Amino acid sequence: MNKKEFLAQLRKGLSGLPREDIEDRLAFYSEMIEDRMEEGFSEKEAVSAIGSVDEIVSQIVADTSLVKIAKERIKPKRRLKAWEIVLLAVGSPIWLSLGIAAIAVVLALYIVLWAVMLSLWAVFGAVLACGLGGMAGGIVLICNAEVFTGIALVAAGILCVGLSIFLFFGCKAATKGIFLLTKKYAVWIKNRFRKKEEM
Amino acid sequence: MDIQLKRGLLDVCVLAAIKNEDSYGYQIIKDLKPCIELSESTLYTILKRLEAANMLTVRTAEHGGRLRKYYHITPEGRKRIEDFKDEWKEIMSIYRFVTKEDEAYE
Repeated sequence: MNKKEFLAQLRKGLSGLPREDIEDRLAFYSEMIEDRMEEGFSEKEAVSAIGSVDEIVSQIVADTSLVKIAKERIKPKRRLKAWEIVLLAVGSPIWLSLGIAAIAVVLALYIVLWAVMLSLWAVFGAVLACGLGGMAGGIVLICNAEVFTGIALVAAGILCVGLSIFLFFGCKAATKGIFLLTKKYAVWIKNRFRKKEEM
Repeated sequence: MDIQLKRGLLDVCVLAAIKNEDSYGYQIIKDLKPCIELSESTLYTILKRLEAANMLTVRTAEHGGRLRKYYHITPEGRKRIEDFKDEWKEIMSIYRFVTKEDEAYE
């Protein structure tokens, strides 16, 4: 791939970003390629030293805030004509509610993920509390001469505490997984904005 | 390595590379190579961050019939390097304390 092709592909990949950002990035990579060529690398070598366009694009998209990408997507490419503004205002009950619905769907997925995590931790907390409560209650019973019931209660308590230790590790792993999932989800949403721009 | 820590280290590395004289992207990558491998995309992000934090300024100059961006360190940037040295002294004394504990157990 030569420099021109590389920059053209990069421009296409970044098309969801603000124009100034794209130009700035392209100038930066172009300078890098030219500096390498000046040092004696061939054009092909200089381009391949930068890395693949896909990798660069996904890193840039991950680094760019969603707000910026969304803003650029919404920004009209030219000034709106009077009748378009009227149409937008008249149509606002429709597109505004659709927009809110779309945002709500995106948020809902986040909330669901976090709710799953919260409930897992709640189970952990409940089992631990059961265990500790059971042990304390059992000891009180033993002191009040209900020895056998007390011992059974303490044993059940220990069992619950033991179970909660296992649950703790499970919850920890699940939390980590959900963190990764939400991160991937954010990147996925960003990509949706980008893909639309390309079409 | 911890991401937050690595980010801070990379910032100081790039500042150190332009400490003595103004430099440009490819030169910075070459200068840092013996110490740390930096990709173009990573360098770009760092340079933008340092510029936003007022630790360096950018000027465009002509070079061989094309334009090249040169990065110049600001007093804030120099202060960041000095702060880093002080912080690192503290970290080194912690490191010595931690490894001394290791030896005691062996």
